[in-house]
Amino acid sequence: MMQPRGVGWRRLRFRFDWTLTLSAAAVTSLGLINLWSAVHERQSNLFSQQISWLGLGVAVFLGVAMLDYRTISRYAYILHGVGISLLVGVLVLGKTVGGGRRWFDVGPFHVQPSELVQLLTAVALGKYLNDSPALEGRTWRHLAIPVAIVSLPAWLIAKQPDFGTAFLLLLVFFTIMMTARLKLRTLWSIIGFAMLAAAPIYQHLLHEYQRKRFEAFLNPTSEGAYQTRQALNAIGSGRFLGKGFMHGTQIRLRHFPALWTDFPFAVWAEEWGFVGCFVLLLAYLVLILWILKVAGDARDRFGATVCVGVAAMLFWHVAINVGMVSGILPVVGVTLPMVSYGGSSILTIAAALGLVMNVSVRRFSY
Amino acid sequence: MEIAGQDAELPEIRRRSRYFALLAVIAFLGIAGRLFYLQVIQGDAFFRVTSDNIVHTDLLPAVRGQIRDHKGKVLATVRPSYNVYVTPRLLTADGFTRLRAVLGMNGDEAIDVWERVQSGVGGGSDPKAAERPVLLAEDISREAMAAIETGVDLPGVKIVSGPRRSYPQGVLAAHVLGYMNEISADELRAKKDEGYRPGDLIGRTGIERQWDGYLRGRAGFQKIVVDRRGLPKPDIHDIIDGPASQPAVAGNNVILTIDADVQRFTERAMRNVSAAGVVVMEVDTGRILAMASKPSFDPNEMSGHLTIEAEQRLLADRYHPLHDKTLAETYYPGSTFKPVSAISALEDRLITPADQVKCRGSFEIARRRFKCTKTHGIVSLYDAIVQSCNVYFYELGARPGMMDRLAKYGSDLGLGAPTGLGLNGEDGGFLPTEEWYREQKLHNPKAEGFQVGQALNAVIGQGSTRVTLLQMALLYSAIANGGKLWLPQIVERVESPDGQTLEEFAPRVRREISVAPETLAIVRQALVGVVNESKGTAFRSRLKDIEVAGKTGTAQVHGRHTELGGYEGGDHAWFVGFAPAGRPKIAIAALVEHGGHGGDVTAPIVMEIVHNYFDNVDPADKDAPHIGLPRRHNHSVELPETAEGEGEAP
Repeated sequence: MMQPRGVGWRRLRFRFDWTLTLSAAAVTSLGLINLWSAVHERQSNLFSQQISWLGLGVAVFLGVAMLDYRTISRYAYILHGVGISLLVGVLVLGKTVGGGRRWFDVGPFHVQPSELVQLLTAVALGKYLNDSPALEGRTWRHLAIPVAIVSLPAWLIAKQPDFGTAFLLLLVFFTIMMTARLKLRTLWSIIGFAMLAAAPIYQHLLHEYQRKRFEAFLNPTSEGAYQTRQALNAIGSGRFLGKGFMHGTQIRLRHFPALWTDFPFAVWAEEWGFVGCFVLLLAYLVLILWILKVAGDARDRFGATVCVGVAAMLFWHVAINVGMVSGILPVVGVTLPMVSYGGSSILTIAAALGLVMNVSVRRFSY
Repeated sequence: MEIAGQDAELPEIRRRSRYFALLAVIAFLGIAGRLFYLQVIQGDAFFRVTSDNIVHTDLLPAVRGQIRDHKGKVLATVRPSYNVYVTPRLLTADGFTRLRAVLGMNGDEAIDVWERVQSGVGGGSDPKAAERPVLLAEDISREAMAAIETGVDLPGVKIVSGPRRSYPQGVLAAHVLGYMNEISADELRAKKDEGYRPGDLIGRTGIERQWDGYLRGRAGFQKIVVDRRGLPKPDIHDIIDGPASQPAVAGNNVILTIDADVQRFTERAMRNVSAAGVVVMEVDTGRILAMASKPSFDPNEMSGHLTIEAEQRLLADRYHPLHDKTLAETYYPGSTFKPVSAISALEDRLITPADQVKCRGSFEIARRRFKCTKTHGIVSLYDAIVQSCNVYFYELGARPGMMDRLAKYGSDLGLGAPTGLGLNGEDGGFLPTEEWYREQKLHNPKAEGFQVGQALNAVIGQGSTRVTLLQMALLYSAIANGGKLWLPQIVERVESPDGQTLEEFAPRVRREISVAPETLAIVRQALVGVVNESKGTAFRSRLKDIEVAGKTGTAQVHGRHTELGGYEGGDHAWFVGFAPAGRPKIAIAALVEHGGHGGDVTAPIVMEIVHNYFDNVDPADKDAPHIGLPRRHNHSVELPETAEGEGEAP
C-alpha cells in the first residue's frame, strides 16, 4: 500500500484524465471570451486579473491532483475546521459590501471563503461516510454527524447574510447524502419539515432586500425586477444565433450591478444566441456527467463522495445561476463556475477539479 | 479501510449517482427549453423591444424660490427668458447674417458663435451633430424675439423659453443677495448626491449661496422611449429603470429681515463716497435691517450676462465691488474701540469715572512718543471719550496686563470671532494678546515680541486689532440694550411656494455679556456726549430732533513701517452708534474706506440714515426720552477750558 515518492507525478502523467481537463478547459475558454466582451469597455483590468487567477488555478489543479487523496482525507476534519474559521473570520473582519459581509481582505485580494467551504464540507462528509459504513442505508440516526458537519458552515454563511450560498450548500449536502444511500422516506420527511419552516424563515430571517427580490421574482413587472427584466431582454433578443461577439447592447453598455459575477450568462446569451447557450450548457453537462462517472469508478467511498460533491456543486451552481438569469428562479448571488469573474470561485473550482483528477488517476490502484 | 463496507456500498453509490446524472440531464434540458422559449419562440418580440430603442430623459427644471424683504418686497425671483437655438445643418451663412443683425452681435462674438455652430456640421466623428440644436444666444430681448418670430423667417432657428433668475431691485442689497453661476466640475463631484447636474446654476455668494438648498427645489424628469429616428414609442416601458416621470418641486421662498426701504436710503446716504460699508441692526433683536457695501454690482449682470470686459473691470476696480465690506473685510477699529477699553478699565476697577489725566498732546514711554489728536488738558473718562483723547487711554494701556484685559472683554463683547451669520465668508477679525506677540517672536526673530507700545496701540484700536462692521454693530447694540450680545439674524423665515411658513427664526441671544449695567450706563452717557457735547467729535453732525449716541473713529491704515501714498494711504473713517439714545432702537456701524475723519465724513451718513429711519419707518420712537448731557457739578467737565493753555506752554 505504501507508495514510493514521485509515483504521484508518474501516475498523473500516464493516467491523465483528458476528458475532465478538456471539458473544463472548454467551459473556461468560453467564459474568458465572454468576460472580454463584458468588461473590455469599462474595466478591462478585470480580464487580465482573471487570466492571472486562471494561471494560479492551473497550479492549484495540478498540485491537488498530485497529492494522494488519502492523505487529504486524513486531514479532512482539520480542513473543515480551517474553512469554518475562515467563515468566522469573515464575520469578524469582513468588509461590509452591499449590506452583507462576504469578503475579507488579504493584502490586495478579497477572499470570499463561502465557495471554498462548500468543497471542504464535501471532503469532510466524504471522510465521515468513508469511516462509518451503513449497509442498511442511512436514516435519521445516521444523520447526526453529517448534519453537524454541514449546519455550522451553513449557519455562518446565512449569517453573512448570503442565503443563496447557504441554500446551495444544503443542496450539495442532500445530493451527497442521497447518493450515500439516505433512505427516501427520511428525505421526504426532511422536505416536509423544511416546507413547514419556510414561512417563518421567510418572515423573520430574511432581510428586507431579500424579500424584495423574491417578490420581484413573483411579480416581474414591479420596479424591483429591473435586473431580471434587463436580463430577459438581453437573453431573448439574442434569438437563435445571437447578435455576435461584442455586439450585445442590452446589458454590456448599461450600468448593471454584478454583471461579471452574477449575470455573465445574459451577456453570453445575447451575443451567441440559443446555439451558444446550448454549447455552453452541453460543455457543463459533459463535465458534470464525467465527474459522476469518475465517482462511480472510485475505489472507496471517500473518493466517490467527494466526486459526487464536486458534481453537485457544479450542477447546482449552473442550474441556479442560469435559472435566475433566465427568470425561472429569484435573484440570489450565485456565480456561474469558470465563467464568472472572481479569484475565490476559480481557485475553489480548480481545487475541486484537482480532487476529481486525483480520484480519477488513482481509480485502479490499491 | 474496511474492504467489507466498501464492497457493499460502492455499487449502490454508483447506481444512485446515475440517478443524479439523469436529474442533471433533465434539469439542463429544462433550462434549454426555457432558453428556447425566450430566444427562439419569443426572440423576435424581445428583439423588437430592445434593438433600436433609447430611453430619452427630459429634465423638468424646478422654479427657484424667491428672496423677499421683511415687508414682502421681491428682491430675487424667476422670470421667463427666451433662448435661441439653431440646427447647424439647416442654418445658412445668409440666414446667420440676418440673425446676428437682429441679435445685435458684434464682429468677434459672431465669428466665435459661427465657428461653434459650424463645428457640428463638418465634424465627421459624429454624423448626428449637425442635427443637434446648438444654443446660439441666451435671454434675448423682447424686441429681438418679436423680430425673429415675425420678421426673420429662418429655417432651423428655434426659440425656447426657460426660467431665469432675476433681481428686480437691481443693485439694491447685492452683497446680501449674492448671485448665481454655473456649477463647476469640482462642486459637481462634491455635491453629486444632492441632485446637482451639469449646467445647473448654483448660488455663488450671499443668501443665494448660503440658502441654496432651500431655494433651489428639485428638478423633475420625464422618461420616454424613442426609436432610432426619435419617434416616441409609448407602448414600450420595459427598458425604463425606475419611475417614468417625476414632477419638479419648486424651491422655497426665503424672507429676510432686511427692509428694502431702509436698505435703499442707507445706500443713498453713501452717495458721496467711493468705498464704504454700513450695517443697520435692530438693537432689541439682532436683526439686520440693512447691510450695504459700496461699490456694488448688479446681480442680474453677474448671473449669466457677465461679459469678459465687465468681469475684468469688476476685478480690476480699486474699490473692490465684489468684496463685502460689512463682514468679509476687517479694519482697525480705531477710536470706536475706546468703549471696550473703558469697559475693561472700569470693570477691573483700574479707574473710576472721576479719575483725571492731564493731556499734553502726547504720551512718552520707553523713549517713544505716542501722539494725541490734540492737547486736551485735564480730562476724565467722559471727556476722553467725547473728545477722543488718546493720552487718557495711553495711560491705561501702560498699566500691566492691559493687553490681555482688552482681549478678555473684547471677546466677551463678540470681537475676535465670527458672529455666526456665516454669509460671504465672514471674517472673525482678531484680538491680540501678550502671548500672541511673544509667539510672533518665536516664529520670526525680527519681530519685537510683546512690548508696552503694542498695548498702547491696542487701547486706541490700532496695532493688530481687527474687526468687521457687523461685529461693531453687535457690540454697540449690546452696549445700547444693556448687555445682550445677539446672534445676528438676516433670514426671518422660510415659506413654501404656496406661502405656508415652513420655518420661522426667532432672535437668538449669543450671550449676556459680563459687564455691570452701571458700567454700560457710564459708556452710554459718554457716547451721547460725543454727538451732543459741543466739544464732541461728532457734534457738527448732530440731529435736532433725535438724540444719537455713538463714537467716531479715524483708523490709521499704515503701520509704523509701511508708507502708503494717495488714496490707499488715507485713514478709514468710522462711526458706530445707536439711536434714540434714551430708548435705543437701531444700531448702525459705518465705515468709509480712506475717507479721513470719522466725525466729518461718516457721522453725517449715519445721521442721514437715522433721520430717514425715524421719519419714514418708525416715527413713533422719535419722541423717546432724551438722556441729555451730564450736569456739570464736578470740575472735570469744566476744567478743560483752562487746562488747554497749560498743556501747550512748555
